[in-house]
Amino acid sequence: MVSEQSSGKQLRITNEVRAYQREWIEKTRQRVSEGEPFAICNGDDCEEILNVMDIPVIVINYWHAIITTKRMADYYLDILRERDYPATVFSMGLAVTMDNKPDVAPWGGLPKPSIIIGGARQDTEMRIMELWAREYGCIFWPMEFALYHGVEKAPPPGWFERMRDHWDEFVDPQKLDYRVQEQEKLIRYLEVSTGKKFSLEKLTEAMQLVNEQMDYWRMARDLIAKTSPSPVTLRDQLSMYQTTWHRGTPQGRDFLKAYYEEVKERVENSVAACPEEKIRLMWVNALGTPPLWGRWAEEKYGAVCVTHNYMGIAVDCYARTIQNNDPLRTLAARYMLLFWTTPDWIAAQAKHSNCKAAVMVGGRRSIMAFEKAGIPLATIPSERDDEATRAALSDFIETRLLA
Amino acid sequence: MSAFDDLQKHYRQRDLAARQWKKEGGKVVGYFCDNVPEEFILVAGLFPLRLSGDPWGDTERIGNYSEQGNVFSREGFVASMLHMILNGKYDFLDYLIIPHARDSIHRLYTTLINLKETDPTLKIPELSYLDNLHTTFYSAGIYNRDRWFGLKKQLEEWTDKEITNERLSQAVAVTNESKRLLKELAALRATDPPLVSGVDALQIIGSSMFMLKEEHNKLLKEYLTGVGQLPARNGARLFVEGSPLDNLQFYEIIESCGATVVAEDNCWGNRIFDVPIDMASDPLEAIIDRYNNKAPCSRMYPLSRRIEYCLRNALESKAQGVIFNIYRFDDIQAWETPDEIKELKEKGIPTLYLKDQPYLIAEPEALKTKIEEFVQGI
Ligand code: SF4
Repeated sequence: MVSEQSSGKQLRITNEVRAYQREWIEKTRQRVSEGEPFAICNGDDCEEILNVMDIPVIVINYWHAIITTKRMADYYLDILRERDYPATVFSMGLAVTMDNKPDVAPWGGLPKPSIIIGGARQDTEMRIMELWAREYGCIFWPMEFALYHGVEKAPPPGWFERMRDHWDEFVDPQKLDYRVQEQEKLIRYLEVSTGKKFSLEKLTEAMQLVNEQMDYWRMARDLIAKTSPSPVTLRDQLSMYQTTWHRGTPQGRDFLKAYYEEVKERVENSVAACPEEKIRLMWVNALGTPPLWGRWAEEKYGAVCVTHNYMGIAVDCYARTIQNNDPLRTLAARYMLLFWTTPDWIAAQAKHSNCKAAVMVGGRRSIMAFEKAGIPLATIPSERDDEATRAALSDFIETRLLA
Repeated sequence: MSAFDDLQKHYRQRDLAARQWKKEGGKVVGYFCDNVPEEFILVAGLFPLRLSGDPWGDTERIGNYSEQGNVFSREGFVASMLHMILNGKYDFLDYLIIPHARDSIHRLYTTLINLKETDPTLKIPELSYLDNLHTTFYSAGIYNRDRWFGLKKQLEEWTDKEITNERLSQAVAVTNESKRLLKELAALRATDPPLVSGVDALQIIGSSMFMLKEEHNKLLKEYLTGVGQLPARNGARLFVEGSPLDNLQFYEIIESCGATVVAEDNCWGNRIFDVPIDMASDPLEAIIDRYNNKAPCSRMYPLSRRIEYCLRNALESKAQGVIFNIYRFDDIQAWETPDEIKELKEKGIPTLYLKDQPYLIAEPEALKTKIEEFVQGI
């Protein structure tokens, strides 16, 4: 077998995605300088609508990932601290704008947006986006019905199997009406202020492209799930997540198609990402980043994280069947509920990928819930790769998995 | 026992009146925050009790619950309230209304629902969620109006009694009277020199949420009649802006430096009685309108409304300095602070920014020194 680590070979597609992003921002900058509109919004908030209207949009989660990858996070967090603002990851984009130094900023900073859209997903989101718009001198557009607002009940077991086709079972229909109205108001504003057009037909197409994109993702995930040692590192799998910011575009779909084909090629050629893989694990965290202790666990125990909860989000949650010929309402429902992080869902994913256990930062209650769902859970005290984390992992692996 | 002693007793023993009510066969509705319409609860014949935390109580119990998925109950006072519910301190509640307020409060709803399912041994009251939006746009008002109608219906179901307009008018008269009396109290603080300390005021205001309003009004009236004889206070006049203060520790430290807190902007102080209910309109609509347009807390859009509120109240109280007291993890409050400080500076009002404050002030002496320095500089 060929070791990816020893040959240092990454998936070709991850580099292509990165190169495309760079090109995309240059093109966008060019378009904005020619007077075209540009938007900033939070992830899973309005991207499809903006894409359909041909208004380039940057999703802040993605922008923050770029800032972090360029190792600029500390720099921008300091900018916030200097101004007495809370130094949080979510506000790094605002810090770039406050700093206003294109020669320092990743990608030279963003072009000036025509609109910043902010939701009520968290208290601070609206405020941060409001301040960001003030900093740019552009319009701030608040959205009151954001992710998870439509949901007041505990998730029913097995929800993840019904989400694609039966999403209407999970979102409060009255709130959904409001979200649809909110989207219509936004569309009207964008049509008036930019002269661009929205079309339901195009939205239907876009949502079908999303579904196709996620189907390729599922196929790739399934190949990885049944191939041991895993053909792709978790890092590479996660780096494909940035294509979710190009949902509903032919480019987004094509990236995932190429990803699937490359994974398949690797499986056929028996390429192993970590040839020493002995114990398969699932890594669960909120940021969608690979575990910092991954190399250590691999070298010490042959323990490899082969999947992550973000892979589940992609394959189980983004694709939605359009109901009643109404793509705008279908989309609204996804903007109001993407997923619940329930133990039964994590357990199902872990088992699907032939993992012996899941790992996450947590405590006794999580362990109980995961055991109940049928998968052992290793809890670590923090995301750091330090002695405490290693000790907790060693203890779990030695007593639970090797004993 | 003087009227003030009585009020103070209820501030200290916050569940006293509610437990007594319960003993006599009544039912108690707990609620969080200052945007649950107590008029509805009163008219339904139930006892409205605003829940508060306890900085001296431990939060060990929630250690098991405050992990992944619950990362939002981080502000100390929210963690403390959750702990108290789980620990049985609020085990006499029949119902609990949770409004869509700050994230950590709003998420208590799903946390408690989940806990009810996973751990049936916990005594968690019947829950009701009161959604509302964080803007004051016209369409948000329409949405919220529906939610309040929903709450009214819920209370009617709980009690099997109709909430009529006539009885609502009576309740509004009582709660408006409370607001009017509390405004008189605010005026005694804002006068020069102030006649009432911040520590006393916070107890009087707070106890109005732990007692039946009529009872509280009676005691407050009595207190206000006798207040003319109180000695005037000297020292610096301070305005306190920031996180919710459901206990006296912070004011006690400030006033031990010889200063007086003449007004504040938080949901356990003057903010709760700022906006009365319009008695001339249909009572149901007037109540809804009042809660839609009441003095905003920091989670509300837009920022300008918050800044205007802080500035206006600091100026009206003739404060010589403003102390910002922001709890650790209270990010939504922290996001508005730099703008407020800037505006106050432009008006020539000095400020002291205490950020990342713990819910329980562990080192009162160090804080006192800081405040003393600030007061001396005024
Ligand atoms: S500031 Fe607002 S959200 Fe926070 S506790 Fe007070 S009323 Fe509730």
